Amino acid sequence: MLRIEQLHASVAGKEILKGINLTIGAGEVHAIMGPNGSGKSTLSNVIAGRDGYEVTAGSVTYHGKDLLAMKPEERAWEGVFLAFQYPVEIPGVNNTYMLKAGVNAKRKHQGEQELDAMDFMQLVKAKAKLVELDQSFLSRGVNEGFSGGEKKRNEIFQMAVLEPSLALLDETDSGLDIDALRIVAQGVNALRNAERSIVMVTHYQRLLDYIEPDFVHVLADGQILKSGDKHLALELEERGYDWVKVEAEQAAA
Amino acid sequence: MSDMALNTAALPGDAGVQTLRAQAAEVFARTGLPGRRDEDWKYTDISRISATLGEAWWSPTPSELSETDFSGIEGLDAYRIVFVGGEFLPEQSDIPEGVTLQSLSALLADDADERSHCLFRLDESAPLFNGFLAANSALASDGLCACIGANVKLDKPLYMVHIGNSTSHILNGLMLGQGAEATLIEHFVGGDSNSAGLNNIATYLRLADNAGLTHYRLQMEGTKQFHIGRVEVKQAGNSRYTLHAVELGASLSRADIVVNLAETGASCDLNGLFVASGRQHIDHHTRIDHNAPYCRSRESYRTVLDGRAHAVFNGKIVVAEGAVKTDSAQSNGNLLLSRNAEIDTKPELEIYNDDVKCAHGVTVGQLDEDQLFYLKSRGLSEEEARQLLTFAFADEVLVGMDSKLIRRFIEQAAFSKLPNMSDLEGFLE
Ligand SMILES: Nc1ncnc2c1ncn2[C@@H]1O[C@H](COP(=O)(O)OP(=O)(O)OP(=O)(O)O)[C@@H](O)[C@H]1O
Ligand SMILES: [Mg+2]
Repeated sequence: MLRIEQLHASVAGKEILKGINLTIGAGEVHAIMGPNGSGKSTLSNVIAGRDGYEVTAGSVTYHGKDLLAMKPEERAWEGVFLAFQYPVEIPGVNNTYMLKAGVNAKRKHQGEQELDAMDFMQLVKAKAKLVELDQSFLSRGVNEGFSGGEKKRNEIFQMAVLEPSLALLDETDSGLDIDALRIVAQGVNALRNAERSIVMVTHYQRLLDYIEPDFVHVLADGQILKSGDKHLALELEERGYDWVKVEAEQAAA
Repeated sequence: MSDMALNTAALPGDAGVQTLRAQAAEVFARTGLPGRRDEDWKYTDISRISATLGEAWWSPTPSELSETDFSGIEGLDAYRIVFVGGEFLPEQSDIPEGVTLQSLSALLADDADERSHCLFRLDESAPLFNGFLAANSALASDGLCACIGANVKLDKPLYMVHIGNSTSHILNGLMLGQGAEATLIEHFVGGDSNSAGLNNIATYLRLADNAGLTHYRLQMEGTKQFHIGRVEVKQAGNSRYTLHAVELGASLSRADIVVNLAETGASCDLNGLFVASGRQHIDHHTRIDHNAPYCRSRESYRTVLDGRAHAVFNGKIVVAEGAVKTDSAQSNGNLLLSRNAEIDTKPELEIYNDDVKCAHGVTVGQLDEDQLFYLKSRGLSEEEARQLLTFAFADEVLVGMDSKLIRRFIEQAAFSKLPNMSDLEGFLE
């Protein structure tokens, strides 16, 4: 379970997150929506441990451990996974090799035996099927020359292989064509289970038709202004964000 | 370096060669060695050489090593041509049949048709000419001389291994007849020996019409060794030359790569990888002359520098007036793993007609933070992520090698010398 309390974070001296409170239980699916620039990716990056963000106040604990004190790789070993909004290309680094190194580092951390090449290939092939990723992508450089949609699909493929307990999907639906969206959503649904928590950042209600969230939050100007169930997303689709802000202001006044 | 008089008296060769040696010694005494005032030597200070080897730094010294000290490139099936301390060892070598191939020492002992003379003749106006080349011509006593006849396609590479840490002057000449094809591997090895010397190598390559040569130049000298090399290539119509230059060893290494695309349709590919650490100094000056229409040149160099290593890359391309439809591209990427590593890189284009396509690009940088974070977010440790990105960066120039064996050999050698790069198992798949 992930617990975020009064989280403040700034980038280059500018405060972006202004007191986030959010609790995500095991097996829950949360959707985070909100205007451009409101801090959604910043929140995901802070949870995953990217450099360049200064946490000025608050805490993030995961399974009772202080996540903010860990290096990014340690967070990955603890089960945190970030599907990037803009996955970076890494020419020359083989997709499968990277995943094998990642999976085995995690297994080692958890005191499990490392997978050998054969077992690993089996795992990878099965997971590629799950998101209908062509096998040829396995041996290519990480995201090297992938189209926008292919990169997003590769992120979910990696999630399937790494089997995180907390998956942060930052706009994974953006850039996917209609069929790809369905396939990726089915993949994510197949990965839903009682232990795995999923946080989806999205701008579109459509994704939530496929992957039904337990909770929907509105993040605006660095704060979670409103939370609700899946119906909130429909309301946002219809009315936009302004009314949420107005409501929040009135409540504060 | 006060007294620059080379003693050429007791060296092999007929009267003609002796005259050429004496002339070279004169040139050497007159021009001396390049200094930092020479534009082409601005970043490479060779005073280290005489400071280490003494006044008569050019005097040949024997090697402490023997051919058994080096096991070669695992699995490589090739014609072995072995030199120890600059001396050809016929018993250790395996010469192909059907081609004219002998050591320079053997040729000098019996040079009825004066074939060796052209190798000793100096052209002071040649690009990047310098005193080392004059010393080479004055003092060289061994090397390889080969002619591969028209349309002969050598079934195996010529693998010329120089086992050293000694001072020697080696002179090689290889001619490929029309349509001939061959692979030449020049491999310089020294091991961890504490002794130092200067390897001064000149290699002249001539490609007739439609000939194709793949040339591996693997500099893996001992850590104290000095290495000065020159490769001079002259290409006739539609010939193809590919160089894979790898610089891993030596205290100071300088190579001048001079390619003359002399006739229509000739093409060359120069690939280079430097991996240097400690106080190593590596310098390549390349010069490609487009002297005819429809010639193509590609150049791709990468350096990975750690510690206080210093690398120099100068890529000069000269396109002559008549060399229309020239197609040339050059790229040079440099990865600095430490704050104290240094690179001086400079593309130089001189173009004398309008009908050309010339692209060039240089990058100098550290590892990419976004890529590092991506890998770490997948569970790779900081160290693993750094290794992987460094490897991928360098490997980009090695993928062009047509020999997987050599590629693997170089990957192992290059990355086991960088700190924390020993666990290569997984990378090399
Ligand atoms: N490195 C940075 N330097 C300066 N400002 C930054 C930096 N990174 C993020 N920001 C700013 O922080 C704010 C929040 O950015 P963030 O990427 O978290 O928004 P977002 O909610 O994910 O937006 P979108 O919906 O467009 O993806 C933006 O105003 C952005 O410009
Ligand atoms: Mg974002």
